[in-house]
Amino acid sequence: MAAPPDRRAASETPAAIAATMLLAALAAFAVAGLLFIPYGTDPLSAYAFLFAEAFGSLRGFGFTLVQATPLILIAQGTVLAWRAGLGYVGFEGCFVLGAAAAAWLALGGTPDGFPYALPPALFFPAVLALSFAAGAVWAGMIGVLRVRFRGNEVLTSLMANYVAAFIVQYLVSGPMRQPGSLPQTPRLPRDTWLPYLIPEARTHAGILIALVASGLVAVLLRATPTGYEIIASGINARAARYGGIPVARRQMLAILLAGGLAALAGLGAVLGVQHRLMDGLAGGAGFVGIVVALLARLDPLAVVPAAILYGGLEVGGAAMQRDTGVPSAVVFILESLVVLFILGSGLLRGWRLPLPWSGRWRATSRKAAE
Amino acid sequence: MSAVPLAALRGIVKRFGPVLANDHVSLDVRPGEVHAILGENGAGKSTAMQILYGLYRPDAGEIHWNGAPVAIADPADAIALGIGMVHQEFLLVPPMTVTENVVLGLREGRGPMLDRSGAAARLAAIAARHGLAVDPSARIAYLPIGVQQRVEILKLLYRDARLLILDEPTAVLTPQEKDALFATLRSLRAEGRSVVLVTHKLHEIMAIADRVTVMRGGRVIDTLDVAGTSERDLARRMVGREVVLRVARTPARPGAAALRVEALTARDAAGRATLRGIDLMLHAGEILGIAGVEGNGQSELAEALLGLLPVTGGRILLGREDITRRPVAARRARGMGFIPADRRGTGSITALSVAANAVLGEQRRHTRAGGMLLDRGAIVATAREIVAHFGVRTPNVALPAGKLSGGNLQKLVLGREVRRASRVLVVEQPTRGLDIGAVEAVWQALLAERDAGRAILMISAELDEIMNLADRIAVLFEGRLSTPLPADAVTREQLGLMMAGRDPAAHGRAA
Repeated sequence: MAAPPDRRAASETPAAIAATMLLAALAAFAVAGLLFIPYGTDPLSAYAFLFAEAFGSLRGFGFTLVQATPLILIAQGTVLAWRAGLGYVGFEGCFVLGAAAAAWLALGGTPDGFPYALPPALFFPAVLALSFAAGAVWAGMIGVLRVRFRGNEVLTSLMANYVAAFIVQYLVSGPMRQPGSLPQTPRLPRDTWLPYLIPEARTHAGILIALVASGLVAVLLRATPTGYEIIASGINARAARYGGIPVARRQMLAILLAGGLAALAGLGAVLGVQHRLMDGLAGGAGFVGIVVALLARLDPLAVVPAAILYGGLEVGGAAMQRDTGVPSAVVFILESLVVLFILGSGLLRGWRLPLPWSGRWRATSRKAAE
Repeated sequence: MSAVPLAALRGIVKRFGPVLANDHVSLDVRPGEVHAILGENGAGKSTAMQILYGLYRPDAGEIHWNGAPVAIADPADAIALGIGMVHQEFLLVPPMTVTENVVLGLREGRGPMLDRSGAAARLAAIAARHGLAVDPSARIAYLPIGVQQRVEILKLLYRDARLLILDEPTAVLTPQEKDALFATLRSLRAEGRSVVLVTHKLHEIMAIADRVTVMRGGRVIDTLDVAGTSERDLARRMVGREVVLRVARTPARPGAAALRVEALTARDAAGRATLRGIDLMLHAGEILGIAGVEGNGQSELAEALLGLLPVTGGRILLGREDITRRPVAARRARGMGFIPADRRGTGSITALSVAANAVLGEQRRHTRAGGMLLDRGAIVATAREIVAHFGVRTPNVALPAGKLSGGNLQKLVLGREVRRASRVLVVEQPTRGLDIGAVEAVWQALLAERDAGRAILMISAELDEIMNLADRIAVLFEGRLSTPLPADAVTREQLGLMMAGRDPAAHGRAA
């Protein structure tokens, strides 16, 4: 009965959430717009340019999808791990190791890779499985530390990112290095590349992997008993245990899948974009993906539009820097503000506007009339 | 009496969305009285008191203090006026000492340094005056719950509160601790302070209160002098109809042994023994009542039986099968159910819907496509069945379970556990915090289950509950269980003494 002292229960109806998120995004755009003024650029036309670049043409939208692909996969991994109650942040590590595993298999038959070259019909299933497994094992180690030994998964997964990055650095400057060149592997054979869907934007089939993965995560979490058990474990492990749910096993499952999905993001970067393994491949996608998941409120279906919005801002920001000289840092600030404002918008749902059709408006106007 | 009331609510209205929690609530608290607020859960008594304490702002109405209207925007305003509140869950910092907790938030002494010894001395003086025995240098974490409550009261007195609001203060106390609390309340009254007692225990009102305000459905039904009323009269006013406070029950017809526990021991995380060799035998078709004050191994016993707590020794036999090392899911599959005391933290996942909670632990039995997918239709059907059969009041089964009142949530948990527990039902504090109507429903449901042949182990700190329901009664004290006695062979007083760890034989007749 000793209720916490919140004066108004937040309104969590879908309409209220959509309205507050939209307001927050608009506010972020308005604040970030001030940053354009010193460059002599009118914010409105800058935004128009930005969105036209990102979404206005098939080519631009193709670039946006390329950017969105790893974000979708990592965000789905975040959704799984975090809904299971794990603060896992080791997606950079899974990304680069998944990329390394994919490159190794793609270089099959060469001295830098797997001993045999696989025919394409076998290669693509095999590379998906191997890359996924690499990420799953990497994340699974953190999962075991957490679930069995109560290690702090935030710290261990963060540190594991560095270890993974150094492993890849070692691979590309040692065993898998292209002789006499930068620390990177040789270019992968053409038939190991992911096919292009929109050739002029070099949009690769990774987006299909990401969309299929999104569908599977959504079904898993929303429609299966296992998903129910993962969510229950994440919200209230005590009650889940009381219900007979094997909490540790469900959390392990979630983290294995999460690591695997992040590894597939790395696979896309290697087989779809760079066509070789190199150092620094993830470029922060492992963290931006977490932000996208938060933006989507850990809802697997909301992840897709959130990632596409985010990818579009990156594409548009880069184009803006190229064409107008406004530094893309402004767009980074904008992206950050969007996230901050949207995460903060929950506060607004505790407020009520006196709208004409609500009881309070009548009460206040009556008082005013007296 | 024509004296100006110390505090008064005048026409307080408070809405939460569509719910009218307080509908023109008016009541007076006179100086130097113990004023009980009686009502079922959801009657609005907590809301009214939280408005008085500044936790909520009323939509309409006024608060008067010493006859003058005042605005109370937050608890700081209330405290400044001299209003203090002891919540059901104590707001103490466990690693800190009693003195530190009491002065928390105050500026004690001149200058930047804290005058700890001065504060301790003042505290000791207040404590002595009101019979609140507390060691000012003890750390909260090591104090029993009853003493922690004294610290909460001391916190208010240290701030010289004129009006003390106590929300269900006796829920966690032994009968003896309860007497001590009442002695303190009398001493406060003698000093001219006023006490508001939010409760739904009628005999406590009769024992301590001067006046009582009965609330129902957000409205004040009546304010009465306690001297001119009776428990029966109050109960009728509270629920709006006649209630039977004693359930009609037939003698048990115990069957075969359903659950046997032999020399069960367990330790807590710090390595202290919590169960020190529990032996018990539970038969089908009986209710074995385990009386005792919480913190003597009650939760541990229940959790060990269900498999939530690893045991360090002994055996648990379900029928003839040794389940000591079996996981929770296996025990549930073999017909065990558990209604935990902590229905919001353990018994349910409050963020999930009523429907999702109705199948917690049974989610694998509500599937289609060969167990691959959840069968939403079946889940909703199960939830509706429980809601209908146990009278859970909810607008729909998609509502988050946390939004149900305590009584309705308990009925949901009970319905779920009863529905599947074919053999043994472990029940812990089943009616804690429930109003009379809900208590009656829960009791009836438990008796019906007993008569249907289930074995029920009922752990309760409420003597009324034990005396009314149990066929045999044992007392758990400091991890040891007394030999169960037939319910008609023990008196309330004997149980009270045993709950406090004393041998009833030493105090008068032997049982």
